[in-house]
Amino acid sequence: MRLAFAAEAGQVHLTSQTRIVAAVLALVFMLMILELIRRDRLQERYSVIWFVAGLGMLAGAAFPGILEVLASLLGVRNTNVALFSIVLLLLLGLALNFSVIMSRQAAQITRLAQERAIEKASQQAAERQRNGSSGEQPLQAEEQSFES
Amino acid sequence: MRTLVFIPAWNEEASVAGVIADVRKTMPEADVLVVDDGSADATVERAREAGALVASLPFNQGLGAALQTGYLYALRNGYDFCAHLDSDGQHPPEEVARLLAEVTEGRADLAIGSRYHAGAIAGSDDYRPTFSRRIGTSVFRFFLTLATRQRFTDTTSGMRAANRRVMALFSRHYSPDFAEIESLQLAVRQGLRVEELPVRMLERAGGSSFLTPVRSAFFIFKGLVVLLVGQFRPRHVETER
Repeated sequence: MRLAFAAEAGQVHLTSQTRIVAAVLALVFMLMILELIRRDRLQERYSVIWFVAGLGMLAGAAFPGILEVLASLLGVRNTNVALFSIVLLLLLGLALNFSVIMSRQAAQITRLAQERAIEKASQQAAERQRNGSSGEQPLQAEEQSFES
Repeated sequence: MRTLVFIPAWNEEASVAGVIADVRKTMPEADVLVVDDGSADATVERAREAGALVASLPFNQGLGAALQTGYLYALRNGYDFCAHLDSDGQHPPEEVARLLAEVTEGRADLAIGSRYHAGAIAGSDDYRPTFSRRIGTSVFRFFLTLATRQRFTDTTSGMRAANRRVMALFSRHYSPDFAEIESLQLAVRQGLRVEELPVRMLERAGGSSFLTPVRSAFFIFKGLVVLLVGQFRPRHVETER
């Protein structure tokens, strides 16, 4: 009974015009993602989450009932408030996801820089060994190879 | 027995050569490596001229990443022991040699040089910490002691000596921007023997400390978060050899 009432109230907030606009926006959004992937500006593995978001938008536009069910599940009377809360939570999740990805990449970059530095130093050590004991002479050779 | 002494350096052209010369004189049998943390000045050139190996990070990554580079280099190149000291001339190499002896003679896996240890204060008053440093020091001392149930007096000391167990652990995991404190916590949690030794430290030869009051407060806050998170890390992960 209460669910039916909420659905009735919801219809007032979501007119067919807003539904069409939302659906078109969702489609344009997904086309944009496709285009970004096609131009190698976005990698497939990071695009999945955006397609899910686009499909969610489309689903919400096509079947407003979903939104009302979600609103009643959350215990929110106003479907608009429910919509904003859900979108906000999703965005928060996305932002966190990006922080995780960023941290991983920062660690990878650091390790890459370390590997390169170590390799160069090992080369220098090997060169020194080839030129005899550690001293000023091998250092000169190292300096020259550094310049060229 | 091969020993590596490494020196993390970031824009320390004024003091790095002197430190290298001192280390080579005090520990002639050890190899000296300078880990250049993306210096913009002539640190690399000064270090090479002074006869050190140089591992140069292409951009500034923070002290933790620089120290980890040193541990990784030591591990990869088969060194039995390693030690590190600051590049600004605060750390006398004779004291580093004492830390190394502690590790080579098997009394500890990781030896830390402490400015504040009971024995150090009686020895000399060359080192005068600033006010904000003193606050940070006592806060960290308290919480690290709480976290590890082992007494530490100098939690941010950059003068340490280590064996291969420590190298393996630190090459795998070392906090990039909160190196000193978390590494101590980690080492104790992994069941390594960590020991503090009183050492003498000097005033800085060149450069200036990065600690201002605001940054100190931020530093302390970050440190507490790091320590708290560290308490929930898994214990006793197998270390690669």
